[in-house]
Amino acid sequence: MADPITPSINLSLCNHCTLCAVLCPEDALTMREQGPVFNIPLTCTYCLECEGLCPTGAIRAPLTVTWGAQSESINLS
Amino acid sequence: MENDVLSKIPMFSSLQPDTRLAISRCAFTRQLAPGYTLLIEGMPAEHGYFLISGEARALRMNPEGRVQVLARFSNGDPINLISLLSKDKANRATIETLSEVTVLVLSASDFHRLINRFPDFSALLLHQLATRLAKMTDLAADLSLYAVRARLARFLIELADLKPSPAGWTQDEIAAHIGTVRDVVGRLLRDFEAAGLIQRQGGQITLQNRDQLAAVAQEQDL
Repeated sequence: MADPITPSINLSLCNHCTLCAVLCPEDALTMREQGPVFNIPLTCTYCLECEGLCPTGAIRAPLTVTWGAQSESINLS
Repeated sequence: MENDVLSKIPMFSSLQPDTRLAISRCAFTRQLAPGYTLLIEGMPAEHGYFLISGEARALRMNPEGRVQVLARFSNGDPINLISLLSKDKANRATIETLSEVTVLVLSASDFHRLINRFPDFSALLLHQLATRLAKMTDLAADLSLYAVRARLARFLIELADLKPSPAGWTQDEIAAHIGTVRDVVGRLLRDFEAAGLIQRQGGQITLQNRDQLAAVAQEQDL
C-alpha cells in the first residue's frame, strides 16, 4: 500500500457536523456542500485529530507498519 | 456445489475423497461485502463457515462500545466452530468482514452430521479447536500479564513482520486488538517516537530498533 498522504473521507457517512474542519490544527480541511475536503496546497500533517473527532467514522486515517532499513540487519539470535 | 471449491480451503486437502464429496453436497458459498456483520454475539449459532478468501474478525463489545478483537480470520480459517460445538449453541462473538469475503457455509445440522459420520472431518476440527484455544490462551495472558506499552510494541512488531494489510490499521483498530482505547495508542505512539523506537511520516510507521522494541514488548504489568 502506498503511504497515505491524507486521511480518507467517506462522504456518504459524513453528517456535516464540521468538527473536523473547525478543529483541524493545521486548517487543512474546508467544509463544502458535499462534506469536508482537504485544502490545496496540502497542509495536512496526518496528525489523526480529524479521525478521532469524527462522530460518524467517516474519516479513516490508516497506518502501515514496516521495519526500517537499520533494524532489518539486527540479528535477534 | 462444485467439489473444486473445497480445494480453495487448504486444510481440506487432508480429507478423504468421500468426506470432501459429502461436504460439497451440503455446503454452499456466500459472497460478503467489506464491513458486513456475519454473526451477532448471543444469537443462535445456525451455521458454520470456512473462509475461502478475504479477511474477517471476531470481536466482543461492552455496553459503552469498547471493542476487543478476539481473532482475525484469513484463508481457510473456520468461523463459529466453538459456538456450534458449545452447549448453549449461541454465537460467542460478533463476526465482521474486513474486506470482500467468500465463505463456505454449512448448516448446524449438516455440520454435526459430518462430524458424526466422518472421523477425518472431526479430527481436522479438533486440530482447529486446539489452535484456536492456544491463541485465546495467549490473548488472555497478553491482556492480563503485560503492560499496554508491551502489547503495542508486540503488535507493531507483528504487523511489520506480516505482509502489509491493504487497508492499513487505524488507531481504533489497533486499540481494539491490544485491549485499550484510541487515545492511549496515540499517546504511546508519540512516546515511542520520542524514544527513537519508531519514526512516523504521514501514515507510515517505521520501526527503528528491533532489540529495544522487543525489550519493551516484554515489559510486564505491575
